[in-house]
Amino acid sequence: MSVNRRSVLKGMALTSIAGVTATGLGSALAAGPASTVTAQPLLALVNEGPAESLFLYGAMAARDSQSQLQVQRVDRDPGFMLEFERELRRGVPMNVIGLLDNASAALVLDMARSGGARIQWLGQHSADAGFSRHHLLRTEIAEGCAQQLSHQLQACGAGFSVTEERQNSAVTSRQLVASSNQTSHSAQWASSIGYLLASLGAPTTLNIPASPNTSLPVTGSFVSFSIKA
Amino acid sequence: MAEQNNAVLPKGVVQQEFNKAVEKFRTLLGEDNVLVNADQLVPYNKIMMSAENADHAPSAALTATTVEQIQGILKVCNEHKIPIWTISTGRNFGYGSAAPVQRGQVILDLKKMNKILEIDPVMCYALVEPGVTYGQLYDYIEENNLPLMLSFSAPSAIAGPLGNTMDRGVGYTPYGEHFMMQCGMEVVMANGDVYRTGMGGVEGSNTWQIFKWGYGPTLDGMFTQANYGITTKMGFWLMPKPPVYKPFEVIFENEDDITEIVEMLRPLRISGTIPNSVVVANILWEAGSGNVRRSDYTTEPGHTPDSVLKKIQKDTGMGAWNLYAALYGTKEQVDVNWKIVTDAFKKLGKGRIVTQEEAGDTQPFKYRAELMSGVPNLQEFGLYNWRGGGGSMWFAPVSAARGDECKKQARLAKRILHKYGLDYVAEFIVAPRDMHHVIDVLYDRSNAEEKKRADECFGELLDEFEKEGYAVYRVNTRFQERVARSYGPVKRDLEHAIKRALDPNNILAPGRSGIDLDTYKKV
Repeated sequence: MSVNRRSVLKGMALTSIAGVTATGLGSALAAGPASTVTAQPLLALVNEGPAESLFLYGAMAARDSQSQLQVQRVDRDPGFMLEFERELRRGVPMNVIGLLDNASAALVLDMARSGGARIQWLGQHSADAGFSRHHLLRTEIAEGCAQQLSHQLQACGAGFSVTEERQNSAVTSRQLVASSNQTSHSAQWASSIGYLLASLGAPTTLNIPASPNTSLPVTGSFVSFSIKA
Repeated sequence: MAEQNNAVLPKGVVQQEFNKAVEKFRTLLGEDNVLVNADQLVPYNKIMMSAENADHAPSAALTATTVEQIQGILKVCNEHKIPIWTISTGRNFGYGSAAPVQRGQVILDLKKMNKILEIDPVMCYALVEPGVTYGQLYDYIEENNLPLMLSFSAPSAIAGPLGNTMDRGVGYTPYGEHFMMQCGMEVVMANGDVYRTGMGGVEGSNTWQIFKWGYGPTLDGMFTQANYGITTKMGFWLMPKPPVYKPFEVIFENEDDITEIVEMLRPLRISGTIPNSVVVANILWEAGSGNVRRSDYTTEPGHTPDSVLKKIQKDTGMGAWNLYAALYGTKEQVDVNWKIVTDAFKKLGKGRIVTQEEAGDTQPFKYRAELMSGVPNLQEFGLYNWRGGGGSMWFAPVSAARGDECKKQARLAKRILHKYGLDYVAEFIVAPRDMHHVIDVLYDRSNAEEKKRADECFGELLDEFEKEGYAVYRVNTRFQERVARSYGPVKRDLEHAIKRALDPNNILAPGRSGIDLDTYKKV
């Protein structure tokens, strides 16, 4: 199913993205028009919740107004997981980003491995009311993303720590930390991650948009990723 | 192809030597089966252990489709001293995932060797390649309407019998001790020889999957949890599908009930009245796999207080301990055994029995009933959402099936975990005489301080259990060297003597179970 930015915002207003569930992996892939940011349609895998809505908001902001984002709601359904793996093994081109809970993400990412896909970004995130933590394992294509995320969070006064590891690097992990007493922008990270992943590998002059104010707590533990096949 | 310039290299191997090996791998396997780019290797580097990803980063990954290709790979590895880490499906989540034990090892991924070579519905066995999953087998059995039943671990649909058995994993049916049900392996040795265990060496043999022992020394066990060869085929026995299957749960209210549960269960298991690998899950294992999240109840740091556990029990109807078992057979057999079992619980005076009819489709009963009847599902992954954060390490000490022993282990583990601000999330898997006490050490990998705490906690669990004479039966790759020390120097000396004889260049998974010719020093 395709959604535009308005429907994502509408979904947020409804506190969930329940209204934008997709029909199935195959149709989600088949229905997507080409994006102006990347050649392939972009498929976003999410669970339900405010963090995921903000993630989609950020992802939409990285897309041209004409482009569409395919959204697929995911849980631990073996049917979806095995279909996802089958499509990857068949060599179906895919450009997939996502923000999922730990259980769904463990499965999706392992299906990506067995399906022979590439993973350009793997983020582990946890957030409470005043602080968010991010552990990023990334490849060259995501160079600079950790700094962009840090700058954005710092600029809006959110407390955070970002630890970054680069695959195939001799350099050990590096950490960027900022503390803040503000809680009003503690949800910014979710839309920033959505934005960064949706624009991965594409030169863009757009600034990461500030996340809309939400009265809902954007707390919990999540995994973000960018998968390419 | 441009020269590879990779910061991650096998230990002791220089870039030029590595590049030569990679070129030979490409010639042998084709470009698509030699993965060296960072975005091809990230999928192999998602770990859940209390270590940096970099500590377990592979330098490359290879995919092979034939025994001949594996022989060719080993030839190259011997020539260039390249260490190789073999995975079948790589779904050993709580024990190290697909990542190698040491940074820089080349992964040999056998996922493409995924043929079901034979299923004999009369003699009730299967012969499979390493990449075959339980899900694939289940579909085959269903599509062909075979009267057979699988036994598998909780990641069922996506894990595979060969990998699980080689790591001595267990399932939940009467065939749940998987290595006991293994019958016949084909192993490629480091020198390229192809060795078949049991009856497999006899020309024209048709009893390879029938009779385990063959003649002379029986070596099958030597290849499990080891690095002496690469298993490319494995036979295993399948349980005939019973005409009647009756799963049930017994819910116990108090943590101390574990003593009586075990004392009551043991005779039922030893006599075979309850034939399957019974599970006794504590409240947090039950809650996590039943989609309850810690944040539903508290966001306070540290371990979850007992008062919250009681509240979860009250809200959900789950017990402090939740026993899952099943009866199998004809109606007459099941009826007789059901009477024996229910009488035993009545005599105990504790425990609320829940049948399938009463439970309906509620979780976690549903997935437990499926696992005990060989129907794959992914429900237990919900544990990863209990606390969140992506950290999971299974601490799995063996206990005698004695009530006081299990209680002692449970208390000891809980005390240590709480000291480090982590939860006791545990299940006992009940064999006739032993209990696999499996504890999921769950923590937040995005929090460096918590990751360090989890690491120290796991170390203390190993140390303190060892002081009491306990040891784990299996462990994640970060702690394999540490656990090898628990089993004493004589065993280690022998293991390394075998390693020197079979793999003098130390190319097969050095470090696996602490066996590594480069680092081991005889005491």
